[in-house]
Amino acid sequence: MDRNQITKWLKAPAKMANKYSLHAIYFCTGCGIIEVPPVITSRWDAERFGVIPVATPRQANLFLITGYVSVKTLRAIIRTYEQMPEPKYTVGFGSCPINGGMYWDSYNTIKHLDKYIPIDGWIAGCMPRPEAIFIAVTHLWTLIDKEMANGYIRYRENYKSYRRNQESALGKLEWPPLFLVSNESQGNEQ
Amino acid sequence: MNKAIKEKLEATFKDIQVSIPEDSKITITAESDSVPAILTFLKDAGFNHLALISAVDWIEENCFELCFILTSYIQNDDEVTSRQRLHIILKTPIPREKPQFKTVIGIFPNAEPYEREMHELFGIKFEGHPRLTPLLLEREYKIPPFRKDFDTRKYVEEVFDKIPLVDNKDK
Repeated sequence: MDRNQITKWLKAPAKMANKYSLHAIYFCTGCGIIEVPPVITSRWDAERFGVIPVATPRQANLFLITGYVSVKTLRAIIRTYEQMPEPKYTVGFGSCPINGGMYWDSYNTIKHLDKYIPIDGWIAGCMPRPEAIFIAVTHLWTLIDKEMANGYIRYRENYKSYRRNQESALGKLEWPPLFLVSNESQGNEQ
Repeated sequence: MNKAIKEKLEATFKDIQVSIPEDSKITITAESDSVPAILTFLKDAGFNHLALISAVDWIEENCFELCFILTSYIQNDDEVTSRQRLHIILKTPIPREKPQFKTVIGIFPNAEPYEREMHELFGIKFEGHPRLTPLLLEREYKIPPFRKDFDTRKYVEEVFDKIPLVDNKDK
């Protein structure tokens, strides 16, 4: 443990523990997932940064969305994201979740993933190098320190808008809303 | 080996055109009624692997063209002695206004997902298919998206670009 950070640890131990044990859900949405096996294995050992892949969303707090998102995958992404316990952080990996990338005019690929779930950070590139994941992780540490990685709070606050966008892309969703959706609560928050 | 099969095919079936574009390929163009008979004939002749069924939208000629690609894992026929694998491409036109075809699951059971896919992406109806349910797509499209008159850019502008960004209020 870094001695300089002892005061930080004493002030907010839970936050520091969250920050240095990012459990990434091992979820493959597109071609970007080929960069992840070298990252988590010995070549670019991701455990140096406390990033470790886990099997289920219930144990995870980092969601890497790797590559293009088709409409069918979006359904799985939303379900996975809603199952993750808070605090949770999402990072869009590659140019396709940002604005569609090379699938910008595809009939079955969604552009702008942040219309459907909140994203804390983006890694641009097609493909990004594995080092870019670590740069993103260190940036995420800074964001967590400054309490700017607040995607899950934004999701809670603007859940009505997110749910509306999800429904307009996927049709009627078969699972109930994660948070209370009513005009009244939305009005109170504003 | 190509020529032997070509002669055999031309002797058995009438109204088909057989051409040899490459050494390892035979292209057959046939009417849609005679396709099951030709497939059965080829299966008996040793081409027991249906590699792919696909469709091509010829919008100017106002027809879809179904392509069946057949090959064989082991070629132990007497006439086929070469080690080179032979591919047979069977093409058949079907009308664009009423795209219907008889299913070939009875001959090749692995045709089922290909037919479902074509029903979904081209709107070709396969009579006798046990379940023509959606396979890949999640949304509903007025025109099946692989048809040439489906405008993807217009569709994206109308559907995905219309979804607004969530305005996150800074607190």
